[in-house]
Amino acid sequence: MKCEQYQDLFTDYINKQLPAADKAAFEQHIAACPACAKELKAFQQVWDVLGEVTIPEPSADMPMRFNAMLANYKASVTEEVSVWDKLKGQWQQLWQWQPRWPMAYNLAILVVGLSAGFWFLNGNKNADSEKMKTLAAEVHELKQSVMLSLLENPSASERIRGVSYTSEIKHADKEVIDALFATLNNDPNVNVRLSTLDALAGLANHPEVRQGLVQSISQQDSPLLQSAIADVMLKLQEKSSVGSFRELLKQKNLDKGVKQKISKTISKLI
Amino acid sequence: MLTDNAIMLKVKEGDLDRMGLLFERYHRQLYGFLFHMTYKKELAEDMVQHTFYKMLKYRNSFTGTGEFVHWMYTVARNVLKDEYKKMKRAQLHDDVDNISDILPGGVHTGDMYDKKEAARGLHKAMEKLSDEQREILTMSRFQELKHQEIAEILNMTEGAVKVRVHRAMQELKSIYTKMES
Ligand SMILES: [Zn+2]
Repeated sequence: MKCEQYQDLFTDYINKQLPAADKAAFEQHIAACPACAKELKAFQQVWDVLGEVTIPEPSADMPMRFNAMLANYKASVTEEVSVWDKLKGQWQQLWQWQPRWPMAYNLAILVVGLSAGFWFLNGNKNADSEKMKTLAAEVHELKQSVMLSLLENPSASERIRGVSYTSEIKHADKEVIDALFATLNNDPNVNVRLSTLDALAGLANHPEVRQGLVQSISQQDSPLLQSAIADVMLKLQEKSSVGSFRELLKQKNLDKGVKQKISKTISKLI
Repeated sequence: MLTDNAIMLKVKEGDLDRMGLLFERYHRQLYGFLFHMTYKKELAEDMVQHTFYKMLKYRNSFTGTGEFVHWMYTVARNVLKDEYKKMKRAQLHDDVDNISDILPGGVHTGDMYDKKEAARGLHKAMEKLSDEQREILTMSRFQELKHQEIAEILNMTEGAVKVRVHRAMQELKSIYTKMES
């Protein structure tokens, strides 16, 4: 072979891709030919220096960006799936958010609205109406969860917002009622307690709510609350509250105005 | 551990989340390739995302007869082609002067300094290669792909790859030598 032909093998040799059979002959020639040896050395240098070139570290947020892209892509793919399944998917997402995101409540209302519209347009499908019922039940559950989480919010206005959701819960269960009473009896903010009293008055058709309100009378130390609770009892004509009011009257530091109001309330109840 | 191909076939069947595994395995390697082809960190990163996006979108074109990696490079090269169309090469390489950022750090003395200087020069020489030559050299030198693998990705014979890698090396060496003198 001529020198030129050996030189065509330089890259393969450096790259360790030269077959063993050719390698022996190649090395033999290099050992015997100073010109090729010199040229090979130059090639080797270029190859080695190329290896010194490093690249900047890729950004650490690359996996995060990938995940976002994947989520986006998946969302676009589900459009091919039925509208119903899509709604259901969004719904499940909301469900995962709700403990931390009171906003999910509003979104839930939106989803229900959309679903209702969808259901209306396809109203003849029994299967969908079954699904609507399930969804409605789930929304109801969500409303409750949002409300409960709002009641634990450090901001008083958020707690008031949570309390106000009570009016949208048709069938408040024990968990909701207990949470409202815990707020009524322990919340440090008078305004929150007043709104809670208002919300509970709206649930007075539940016997345990009436009972709880009566028990709460002795726990209130704010004149505003004491007076408001007297109004509620009068409105509800809750005669069983009389005993609690009499107890309250025994308190030494009771506000004068409240004292008068309670006495009046008792006389109207009996 | 599942092979790349097994994972990609699951993705093809609709288990899209599994693409995350392949991203974990290959995003750095792919970034390295795309960086050498553009010398722009952010652009290279964007193109990695774009390549993975295209692999999701065109997952049905993965047959499983070849290696996943080869298919990945094929998709990446298409992304690259689109990008080249979008930008003129001049613009693409306008920040080559920031080359010191991409060279190994170290003390400016003795051998280290020389190597750094040499790498700086070589990098500039790489710039002057044609896209095709830079690509094949990048695959061979930086991605450490075998000739047979490159042949599969570039859809040519192994012999043709051999010749091209060698020609790219010759060209690089000659550009480099001219720059040095
Ligand atoms: Zn020779």
